[in-house]
Amino acid sequence: MNLTVKNIVRFVLFFVLQVLVLNQIEIGTGAQIMIYPLFIFLLPVELNVIFLMAIGFALGICIDAMSNTYGLHASSLLTMAYLRPAIFRIFAPRDGYDALLETNLYTMGSKWFVKTFGILLLVHHFWFFMLEMFKLNEVLYVFQKTGLSALISFLISVFLQFLFLRKPKRNEA
Amino acid sequence: MRNFLAFIRRFRVLLLFVLLQGLALSMYFTFLTFPRSQYMTTASYISGHAFEFTNNITQYLHLKKNNTALQKENVRLRSKLPQNLLQLDREYITINDTLHRIQYEYLPARVINSTHSKRNNYFTIDIGSSQRVERGMGVISSKGVIGVIQNVSENFAVVRTCLTEKVRIAAMIESTGEHGFIDWKGENSKYGTLSGISNDSKIKKWDAVVTRGSAGMFPQGIPIGKIVSSIIIEGKPLWDITLLFAENFRTVQRVYVVKNQLSREQAQLEAHHQSTNTQ
Repeated sequence: MNLTVKNIVRFVLFFVLQVLVLNQIEIGTGAQIMIYPLFIFLLPVELNVIFLMAIGFALGICIDAMSNTYGLHASSLLTMAYLRPAIFRIFAPRDGYDALLETNLYTMGSKWFVKTFGILLLVHHFWFFMLEMFKLNEVLYVFQKTGLSALISFLISVFLQFLFLRKPKRNEA
Repeated sequence: MRNFLAFIRRFRVLLLFVLLQGLALSMYFTFLTFPRSQYMTTASYISGHAFEFTNNITQYLHLKKNNTALQKENVRLRSKLPQNLLQLDREYITINDTLHRIQYEYLPARVINSTHSKRNNYFTIDIGSSQRVERGMGVISSKGVIGVIQNVSENFAVVRTCLTEKVRIAAMIESTGEHGFIDWKGENSKYGTLSGISNDSKIKKWDAVVTRGSAGMFPQGIPIGKIVSSIIIEGKPLWDITLLFAENFRTVQRVYVVKNQLSREQAQLEAHHQSTNTQ
C-alpha cells in the first residue's frame, strides 16, 4: 500500500480508537490510556520534523475537539513530535536507520523500542498531566498519574503492534 | 533583512514549535476560563452526533441501575400526589392555586458522553438551544446535583460537572444553614469538598449538604452529598469539609436541566443593586 494512504488510514483509526473507545475507559486512580503517540512514533524516520509537528498538532486538535480538553492533547503531542528526531538521533543504531523500514518493535528490536518510545511516551504523558493539573503542590499526584498511565499506554501500544504489524521476513544467507 | 531571513531559516523548527505550542496553550487556558464558542467542544455538530451514535450502543450497560433509580424517584414523587393524601379538613378546597407559581421547570436530557477521571470532567447532553437550554443553567439528576451548563450548541450542551476545579456551586449544610461552595480536589470521583464554612460552628458527620439556591441555578434543598469528615485548615478559621456525593457520576445517564423562570429578574435586580452601590 502507498505510504501516504497507509498513514492517513492509520491517522483515522488511531483517532477513532482513542476517542470512541479508550477515552470511555476509566481505570480509576486518575490513569488514562493514550495510544495516539504511537502514530507519531511510527511515521517514517526521514520525515521532516516540521511535517511531524504539523501532523501531531492536527491529530491532537482532533482529539481535543472530541474530549473537551481545548488544546491539551495538541500541546503534548506537539512536544513529543518536536523531541522525536533528537531521541532517535541519540539512540540511532550503529549504521543509521534503514529508510525503507518502519521504526516499529519488530524492525528495530525490543530494546531500542522500549528506550525510545518509553522516553517519548513519558514526556508526552508528563506534559499532559502537568498542564492538566497545573499546580506545583500536586506534583506527586502528577507523577503517580504519569507513571501509571504511561505504563498502561505502553503495554497497549506494544499489544497493538503484536496484533496488527507483521514480522518482516528475513532472508538470511 | 537577509540576516533576519537566515535567522528564521536557522531556527524554523523551534519557531514553529513555539508558535504552535503558544496556540495550543492559549486555547487551553482561555477556553478553561471563558468558554466562548462550541466549535472545539463535544457540543459541536460532528462530535455531538458521533457521541450520540456511540451512546445509543453503550447506554444499555447501566440501564438496570438507572431504571431502579428512576423508579425510586417516581415512588417518592407519587407519594406527594394529592390523590394519595388523606384530606383532613373538608371545608376548604382550593382549585385554582394563586399563592404558588411555578418558578423552576425541568427539561429531561440524556448524557451521551462523560468523563470522570480527568482533572476537569464534562458531560455532553443531548439537548441544546433549540430546547431552550442556556449557559449557566443548573443540571440535576434524580439523586442530586450534577453541575452547570457551560457550552450550548443547537442540539447539544456541555455540562461542567461537580468534578471540576472551581465549579463553585453555592451549597449549605441543611441542618444549620451554614453556607459555602462546592469544590473538587481531583482525586476521587466519589468525594468533593465544601469550603468557606467557619470553624466556630460544629459539624456533624452524615449531615446533608444541599444547594443554597442563591444564584438561581438550582432550587433550594437539592441534595449534593453528605459530610464524611472535617479538618481545620491551618492558619485559617475555616473547616475543610469532605463530602460524599449523592450521585454516582460514573453511571448517571438521565439528567434534568433546571430552568429558572425568574433568573432574569434576579440577575437584573442584583446587577442594578451592584451598579447603584458602586456609584
